[in-house]
Amino acid sequence: MLSNIGNTLLFLNLLLGVSIIYFAFQNLKTNEITVSKKIYHICLFQSTFIIICFITLVTAFVVSDFSIINVYQNSHSLKPFFYKVSGTWGNHEGSLLLWVIILTIFSFLFLLYNKHHPKNYRIYSLIIQNILILGFLFFLLFNSNPFSKILPIPKEGLGLNPILQDPALAIHPPLLYIGFVGSSIYFSAAISSLLTNYSGKLFAQSIKNWVLISWSFQTLGILAGSIWAYYELGWGGFWFWDPVENASLLPWFAMSALLHSLIVLEKRNLLYFWVIVLCLLTFILSVTGTFLVRSGILNSVHTFANDPSRGLYILIFLSLMIFASVLLLFNKFKNTSYNLNSNSKETFILVNNWFMIFYLITVLLGTVYPIFTEVLTDNKVSVGPPFYNTVIIPIVILFLLFMSVGPQAQWIKNKFYNLNLLLKILIGSILINFSIIYLFKEYSLLSNFIVISAVFLVISSLIDLYKSFKKLKKDSPRILSHLSFGFLILFIGLNYNFSLEKDFNLKLGEKKNFENYSIEFTDIKLQDFKNYKAVIGEFKINNSKENFNQSLYPEIRIYDNPSTITYEASIRSGILKDYYITMSNIDRSDYYNIKFQKKPFMMWIWVSVIFISLGGFLRLYQNAKKNY
Amino acid sequence: MRLKTIIFFIILNLNIASAENFTLDLNKVLKNLRCLVCQGQSVADSNSEFAQTIKLVVKDQIKEGKSEKEIYNFLVEKYGEWIVYKPPLNKVNFVLWLFPYLVFVIGGVVIFLLLKKRNNH
Repeated sequence: MLSNIGNTLLFLNLLLGVSIIYFAFQNLKTNEITVSKKIYHICLFQSTFIIICFITLVTAFVVSDFSIINVYQNSHSLKPFFYKVSGTWGNHEGSLLLWVIILTIFSFLFLLYNKHHPKNYRIYSLIIQNILILGFLFFLLFNSNPFSKILPIPKEGLGLNPILQDPALAIHPPLLYIGFVGSSIYFSAAISSLLTNYSGKLFAQSIKNWVLISWSFQTLGILAGSIWAYYELGWGGFWFWDPVENASLLPWFAMSALLHSLIVLEKRNLLYFWVIVLCLLTFILSVTGTFLVRSGILNSVHTFANDPSRGLYILIFLSLMIFASVLLLFNKFKNTSYNLNSNSKETFILVNNWFMIFYLITVLLGTVYPIFTEVLTDNKVSVGPPFYNTVIIPIVILFLLFMSVGPQAQWIKNKFYNLNLLLKILIGSILINFSIIYLFKEYSLLSNFIVISAVFLVISSLIDLYKSFKKLKKDSPRILSHLSFGFLILFIGLNYNFSLEKDFNLKLGEKKNFENYSIEFTDIKLQDFKNYKAVIGEFKINNSKENFNQSLYPEIRIYDNPSTITYEASIRSGILKDYYITMSNIDRSDYYNIKFQKKPFMMWIWVSVIFISLGGFLRLYQNAKKNY
Repeated sequence: MRLKTIIFFIILNLNIASAENFTLDLNKVLKNLRCLVCQGQSVADSNSEFAQTIKLVVKDQIKEGKSEKEIYNFLVEKYGEWIVYKPPLNKVNFVLWLFPYLVFVIGGVVIFLLLKKRNNH
């Protein structure tokens, strides 16, 4: 029943997409200056139908309708309600439906909120966006249909992969998709802008809020993925430069570059073609990311999400997109004059773009390089954290310095205020770095520079914040994001240098001592839960210096459907540091392998990222207030 | 004067940094090795039998006084380049290591040229 409703709605959407394109072309031929009411209505229907379609799938998951393959494969009647719902997008087909929903809704909203822009520009954006919608709808219907039926109807589902049963992961795909797929709208707008020669400031204004929305959500989406990895994967880290993590970071770099250069286009009417390139690049990278993840071409932690046959379709679609974009760009490219002063704000924004492109190329190259070496030389290489850390971190130092100095520059003018002040801040940062080392612990030369440059950015942003409170500067969203980025790098640096990691084997009743810590294995018990059994250990942690006493309870979980063993970390989060314990059994032995970690400032890493994206939301709010 | 103060502090920092002791960190080595039987996990982060074996091997080699590089070479010879997360700089991988910097330099030159063009006008 639900399967039929879903399929019918998908077909209807296909027809609506085609009719929108048809009526849009009709509308272009007329002399009317406004977009016809008919198109609005069809778009409204299109959005409504796709939302109902999604609700249908959610319902199928909630009532455990196992006549649908997708539900059968990814759900189980005993699963908690929350994970039944989140299971809807915790699989390939469902998440692809989410992808189409965002494409559709953004298409409608973009049409609705740009009424003061020319008709042709809006209509072409709509047409391009609907071509994208149709492309993904075809893929959804004929390759990855979430409503496919199964006969005979199974009595029980196979269950959702236990490591996906986590609150952070439940919100991770929707957040990330608003970022990923949200970038489609400025892809369409950019092409439309090239086709209709609608360039310059007005074009920048029409897309800037959409860039902000996608950037802010993308930031949060990456964060949710990171938090999930920290809590769920049991290794105590939050970023592994895994190909799939990289796939979410690549569009983020492009978006961040776009976010900045768009300001130049809006204020100074410069860099139009560069902005277009970034618009196109962002969505192309989003689809590339999806291709890399879904095709299973890369070895990664996301192996629960791949299937080679899907890869081909996305690859063809991707190639067409890139081909069309490049062709159009070459056709329309005009050499424009640049009017830049070396110390002006425009220059510093270009510097931001310079670094962003460097990060982007490095991460992209590192991610796809193993594929090339394997094909060309039959040599499998791994490109992992040490590569990225070696190449990127030294450059980040320079980047942070530019990031502190840049915002002090003025538009157009070739002049700097506050050179004195900057020097004082630099000395202050060096002093702070020195005192951290003096009070706590020494660290490598590279870490020294990271801490100094991060503190430099933090202090100069704080001074800006002070000025903005005194109404000397009205740039609080920028300051908030920059400040939080400084804190982020600072906390990551401190976290890296002050982490403590111990790996040892213990038997029940034994105790392990190191530094100021003692860890005692006091208890172990077996417990039954609704959808799994768990072996729960109790460990007493004692820090003699800080008079700290705490018990932690890591688990080994045995899930029945699907039958899997997971190692559940026990984490005690604190304001200054987290304690993190995982345990795993050793075959044919009474001993358990224990991994104990002290992770300083974890919470502040999360908080920093939240505030980075809050900066984006704050700017959106300001823009909205200005317009109404 | 101010410049001197800065230089003073930088040197101070350098001294402290170089005072670090250089004993080979087992965990650091293990983090740079891929657990071949796992999905996207390092040897340090895994408890598979494979990881346990490699941990013992590395521990022994450190005890024997081998350098980080010697340990990696030993493992690469045995398991192939797939096992190290930091690809060695060689004929095959030089594009990987050099291209990013090339992009960085080109980017810098482009911005420099844009500014210079303006100054000539």
